Amino acid sequence: MGLVAANLQDPIAELVAREKHFQEWTEHPSSSLVHHDAECCERARLWFLAYARSMEIGNISQFEIKAPIWLQQLYSWGPSSWPIAWCELVNKKVLDCGVFAALAREVFKAQGHEVHPAQALLSYNETCTNHWKALWKKGKDDTVFPWIGDRLVYHELCVLELPDGTAKFYDSTWGNWYLSQPRFGFGAVLAVRSECPRLLRWGSRTVACGEWVEL
Amino acid sequence: MHSGQNPCSGVGIARCLRAAFPNLTLVGVDHWQGSSGLHDKSIDETLLLPQWKQINDAQHGDHILSILNDDHLWIAAMDMEVHWLAEHLGAHSNLLAPGAKALELTAKPAVSGLDGLGFRVPDFISASLPDSDIHYFLRQHAWQCWLKSPYHDAKRISSWIGFVKARDAMAKSWRTSKLFLQRHIIGSEETIAFAAYQGELIAAAHMQKRQITPEGKTWAARVTAVEPDFLEGFKEAIRKLNYTGGGEVEFARDPDGHKWLIECNPRFPAWVYGGALAGQNVVAKLIAHVWNMPFLETVNPYPFFTRVVQDIPAKESVGIPLPPDPATMAWASEGKKGKSGPDFSALIPTLASAQEQHSKTPDKSGDVPEHIDPSYFTEISSLTEQYVGPTPARIHLEQWARGRFDRLAKRVKQASLNTSRIQIGFSVKTCPTDDYLRKAKESGFFAECISQMEVQRALSFGFLPSQIILNGPGKFWPLTDKPVTGLHALYCDSPEEFDRVIALPGIAKVIGFRMRVPKVHSRFGNPLDDPRRFSDLIHKMKKLQGRAELGFHFHMPSWAIGLQTWMQALDSLLIWCQIAERLSGRPVKHLDLGGGFFPADLERLDISGIQESVRKALPNVGTLYLEPGRSLTQDGEILVSRILDLRKTPDASLHEIVVDACIAELPLAQAYSHRLFFKQIGSLEANSPPVRLSKGETRILGRICMEDDILSDGVSLPESAQIGDYVIFGDAGGYERSMSYGFGRG
Repeated sequence: MGLVAANLQDPIAELVAREKHFQEWTEHPSSSLVHHDAECCERARLWFLAYARSMEIGNISQFEIKAPIWLQQLYSWGPSSWPIAWCELVNKKVLDCGVFAALAREVFKAQGHEVHPAQALLSYNETCTNHWKALWKKGKDDTVFPWIGDRLVYHELCVLELPDGTAKFYDSTWGNWYLSQPRFGFGAVLAVRSECPRLLRWGSRTVACGEWVEL
Repeated sequence: MHSGQNPCSGVGIARCLRAAFPNLTLVGVDHWQGSSGLHDKSIDETLLLPQWKQINDAQHGDHILSILNDDHLWIAAMDMEVHWLAEHLGAHSNLLAPGAKALELTAKPAVSGLDGLGFRVPDFISASLPDSDIHYFLRQHAWQCWLKSPYHDAKRISSWIGFVKARDAMAKSWRTSKLFLQRHIIGSEETIAFAAYQGELIAAAHMQKRQITPEGKTWAARVTAVEPDFLEGFKEAIRKLNYTGGGEVEFARDPDGHKWLIECNPRFPAWVYGGALAGQNVVAKLIAHVWNMPFLETVNPYPFFTRVVQDIPAKESVGIPLPPDPATMAWASEGKKGKSGPDFSALIPTLASAQEQHSKTPDKSGDVPEHIDPSYFTEISSLTEQYVGPTPARIHLEQWARGRFDRLAKRVKQASLNTSRIQIGFSVKTCPTDDYLRKAKESGFFAECISQMEVQRALSFGFLPSQIILNGPGKFWPLTDKPVTGLHALYCDSPEEFDRVIALPGIAKVIGFRMRVPKVHSRFGNPLDDPRRFSDLIHKMKKLQGRAELGFHFHMPSWAIGLQTWMQALDSLLIWCQIAERLSGRPVKHLDLGGGFFPADLERLDISGIQESVRKALPNVGTLYLEPGRSLTQDGEILVSRILDLRKTPDASLHEIVVDACIAELPLAQAYSHRLFFKQIGSLEANSPPVRLSKGETRILGRICMEDDILSDGVSLPESAQIGDYVIFGDAGGYERSMSYGFGRG
């Protein structure tokens, strides 16, 4: 089920009404990486996983969830051409949020966590989105998903499924954990969608697989 | 709009304008949601923009131009923004920022645009000059200088190491090599804030700092009108610069009354609202001039302002940034300003600097009660009781050292009954005495060498080539020697070295690579943090087919980083080895875990646990290697010294002693903690044992005339100590012996 403008609270409905790509965002599946089923990709994937493990050296945190905050050191945020394969991405300097999310999922999985793709719709001002549109034009137009609207943007993240059935949404691009409390304004998270096949609790909300949940 | 310990002037400008023009619409502009000034009540609206690196220059220029063309004013509040505007926009009647020419003439450090105003310019030198020139400059100025970037930022420099570190950090931070060093000027810190429009000086205010924060920022100050004599010349300078916008001239006034120019900033200072409160609202005067409109003036008979930390409600429309991952918060809190968000690059160097700190910071664990094995103490007592001879003297603790070797040999023998065999390679470099080499050989250990010279030493002692492990970056030194072949193992430090090694027939049974695991700060081994270089290594491993067995080596001194981190690094290494095995198709049969253990740590090392981890990850590994040196020899010797001088405070407490040992005998005196003992001459005859010294206030100084010859920062020495009494340094073997040198002996 997609997010329907008519079902939304008024401020969001107003935002949604202006977005020509809205339907695409709500129906877009989370990004996944291509594996060529050959040594090129396997070598790259294994290198990445070993690198991720090394990044945990010196981490004396008492918690088990060790978010890959180092991803932002390794790669900058910017346009990626899709589809993208493992053997291509490890040599890139710039990756988009879909690749960041896919890589973070691999790291969490290797740590033994249940992790799934997730998406979000965020609000920004038009000045910001115009700059991002310009930045993305430097990429290859035909292979870039139109994630930037006028005042809404589509974003990819990952969701951790904790043993007690609660969800933790992690923004792997910027290293933030999302909060379930609603807010409007710059950078506000308006809705999230999880691809976890089980129902998850997130604050006072229940998150079902494939369904957009408004904040 | 950043408003932290090192604030920008945005909030101050807004408050100046709100106080003077209550009905003005003020828009706060920033590139970071975390700038708290955006929540200030003086701001009507906010314009949050993407980070500067995401900004499209042309689009941003057009956007600002459209705002200016709509008769709005744009006031630049940051140095970097002013430079950007000068480069991308140029002059506009509504743009209140100086142009390129004014920026050029007010650039640090010379600030030629202010010549003729009676300022002296402190000596400066480019930080790009040869190091010898810079060192000379620093010496000439008593190591009291500032390292500055051309835009913003200054770091106090008081040592060469500090300079080198600051230069690297600043060059990286500002992406420029155009840094300079400037002599520090002692004087009261003063500033002139000014506003100008198209070359006409509209307003100026003189500020004298009264309270300064640890960051050097103003906390309280006096603000008055500028001296008339200065003002006339300043007007002329502004005219020549055709200056527009806010600005700040920083200078120091020395006790002789000379004014030393520090810099000219091309924007209003952050304290500008403090000036308005004191009756000098230079921002309002500028706007009133540009728009030709009146404004409300503040009158303060007491022309001072001070700052307070204030809590204000946050605006939902702006929002507070989401909490970053807790691990990031921990690092970011270490003095990061956070202007553009937490800096994740702190994670890697922090580990590195922790390692460096361990090797430099004197360990003061002497005040923590530590168990001393009775047999260790008994042997020291016995040897010092019998000792008669010159000092300083290094005395070998035969029984104790023998015990270390025996216990390790026994543990290894037992552990080898488990899954993989354990082989010890005694680190020859650590302490290559006949005695230790003999013990190593008798214990069934191999010799771990780092040069052909060490190989020859091991061979001469009866080790077979097949009992030698060759490591390090200089393993073929001296080059004139024909390399010894038939070695047990050789671990290459680089792919280039591998290509040479593989061409030497029969060089070693095991050929492998020393691995530099990512995040581990080291100059040794093959870096694994680049996927292309890793691929290259895999290709080279494949070449071993039919030539040698594959092994891996890693060395990370657990004494410097702690066993917990060492174990994490080992876990990481196992993953890398697993991958290498899988991708190269070559079984990993040998795994060398190096040395660097503190004596007690090696004996606590869970060898069977490591064997089990290795067995699970790398089932083909038949032999695991450890290369202890320090752990076997460091506490096997003591250094006996005698007191040469006693120094007391006016109230007669002992605060310093000079002993006849020095850093030539104890080159690592400050690198790790040494157990210290004291024995009085008189008590020798009484056969009393030495006393263990705990942490105290008496420094132990070495005998030589070197500033760093300090052997202990403080021990609790009996007040009855006399010249000639013994101070005995424990843990004086290992590198303390092998790295010691002759000095001051004529």
